[in-house]
Amino acid sequence: MREITLLHLLPNVFKGMEDTSQIRESRIWDAPPFTFKKGCRICIHAESGGGKSSLLSFIYGQRHDYSGEILFDNQNIRSLSIKNWCEIRRHNIALLPQEMRLFPELTVWENISLKNNLTHYRSEKELLEFLSVLGIQEKKNTPVNKLSIGQQQRVAIIRTLCQPFDFIFLDEPVSHLDEPNNKIVAELVEEEAGKLQAGIITTSVGNHLLLSHPEFVQL
Amino acid sequence: MKREKRIGISTLLKKNISKGQLIGFSVANLIGLTVILCGILFYSDSHHRKATDDKFFSDDYIVVSKEVKGINLDPVAFNESEIADLASQPWVKKLGKFTSADFRVNASIEMGGRGMSTYLFFESVPDEFFDSAPAEWKFDPDKRFVPVVLNKDYLALYNFGFAIPRGMPQLSEEMIGSVPLKILITGDNGRSEVFNAAVVGFSSRLNTIAVPQDFMDWANQRFSRQQDKDVSRLILKIDRLNSTDWEKYLRDHGMELAGDKEGDSKVSQFMGLVSGVVAATGFVISVLALFILILSIFLLIQKSRPMLRNLILLGYSPSEVIKFYAVTILIINIVVTLLAVGFTFICRLIWHDSLISLGLGNGNVLFTLGAALLYLLLLSLINITVIRRHVYRIWQSD
Repeated sequence: MREITLLHLLPNVFKGMEDTSQIRESRIWDAPPFTFKKGCRICIHAESGGGKSSLLSFIYGQRHDYSGEILFDNQNIRSLSIKNWCEIRRHNIALLPQEMRLFPELTVWENISLKNNLTHYRSEKELLEFLSVLGIQEKKNTPVNKLSIGQQQRVAIIRTLCQPFDFIFLDEPVSHLDEPNNKIVAELVEEEAGKLQAGIITTSVGNHLLLSHPEFVQL
Repeated sequence: MKREKRIGISTLLKKNISKGQLIGFSVANLIGLTVILCGILFYSDSHHRKATDDKFFSDDYIVVSKEVKGINLDPVAFNESEIADLASQPWVKKLGKFTSADFRVNASIEMGGRGMSTYLFFESVPDEFFDSAPAEWKFDPDKRFVPVVLNKDYLALYNFGFAIPRGMPQLSEEMIGSVPLKILITGDNGRSEVFNAAVVGFSSRLNTIAVPQDFMDWANQRFSRQQDKDVSRLILKIDRLNSTDWEKYLRDHGMELAGDKEGDSKVSQFMGLVSGVVAATGFVISVLALFILILSIFLLIQKSRPMLRNLILLGYSPSEVIKFYAVTILIINIVVTLLAVGFTFICRLIWHDSLISLGLGNGNVLFTLGAALLYLLLLSLINITVIRRHVYRIWQSD
């Protein structure tokens, strides 16, 4: 997948608000075609309630309550089958949702393995290294519901990296991390995306991921 | 480490399955299926005799004659209008006339150096009334061999009424079949000839000494001057399932049922009723068990909904999720079916001896096993359909 294009996209909940300043100033909502290209570094900034998570849900095929079009290499995603979506979620698009969606009853390692055993993308050594880089190697066998939100965020980031991708979407990935950890995550994500020449798209309401030379886009 | 590598979708789903619900379903289903199978097996056992009792005639055939009152000098016979009326009854599927012999028959037999001879009579029914005709049921004038089908009661009469007091040997059906007979036929035209004969089978429904129709036609022409005799007995193929009117008709028209098997049919009706009630109860229990399972699946998937949604968002396909539940349910259903079949055959011990002493029992078990297999397939199909629908609903509602 080389590019993702958004055409006059507008969530149904924003219908009738086209003339408000929030929508008129947005580069994405009800706007001319906006394209995420492979290799891009984009940081989407918005107020809380601005629709960041909705945008990622639309692109990830999780929600369909929008007007306008989303194209993956010129193919409207509304025409994709269940099988297509499973393939895309395993090989083309990685998503770290804001609510992380970890399985609280499983341990850190089980949560990570659940994704990696689907894609067989990372070796055990790589995964252990990620845990160590992010400083949670001791928590490997701890159930996720016993971790702090910041620690859970790091587990979720590692899980998101357990697949090949053309685009990685990170929804407020460092909202609960301090600056040193933010830098570590940013370096790790940039390094992995760099190997794949993939695009990185992150969102934030304030504390954004410290990527090198990102393009800031107002939602 | 090795164990950890195998972490997959089932690790997660197993943690979210309610064992209590599944055990509840399994027990209810086991009881239901066992009761259904007991009903079916009991039905097969209690109806077993009728199926194999008479090799040549099923119980759809009855033989009727007119009642003899006082002393009848003229033979009691059916006239044409009576036969036509009988043939027009809705419960009569087929009607055939007995042909009686217009000649005298003397049969002789030699056993262990002792000779015995007796006067006999012959009758015939059209070949098409045999469900399966006995072997060699043909007459060839050149071979001069006459196959005979004997009523079972005649053998019983000989064995228990005649042989014992006279110190004669008692004979089995097979033994009789292997004994060669000599038949002397004398006609009213003065002609007299000897034939070889053998008993080729026994019937309990046909209470006569039967020979092939083609022999009877040939012999009547050869040994008798008289043509077109009256018909004194009829064989009817009746629609027993859909009508009970025939009993009333025979009574009202002064006809008698030969070899009255009414008692038998009452017993089998009662057995049928009992097994019907048992099977119906089992069916109701199974339907309830099915509802418990569908409800359990519904609750389970409802409870696991956020988890299943997350799995699908991770890239797991709905079919992988369905597969786990389908395999689990299938294993449970197979185990339940095997146990139910086992319990059914244990339960059979309760009625087996009593039925054997009534001359019944040991019915065909294939029907019961087939029913178990059908139930297994049907139940699993319903279960898996329900699971599929619920999981795909999660996908669509995303």
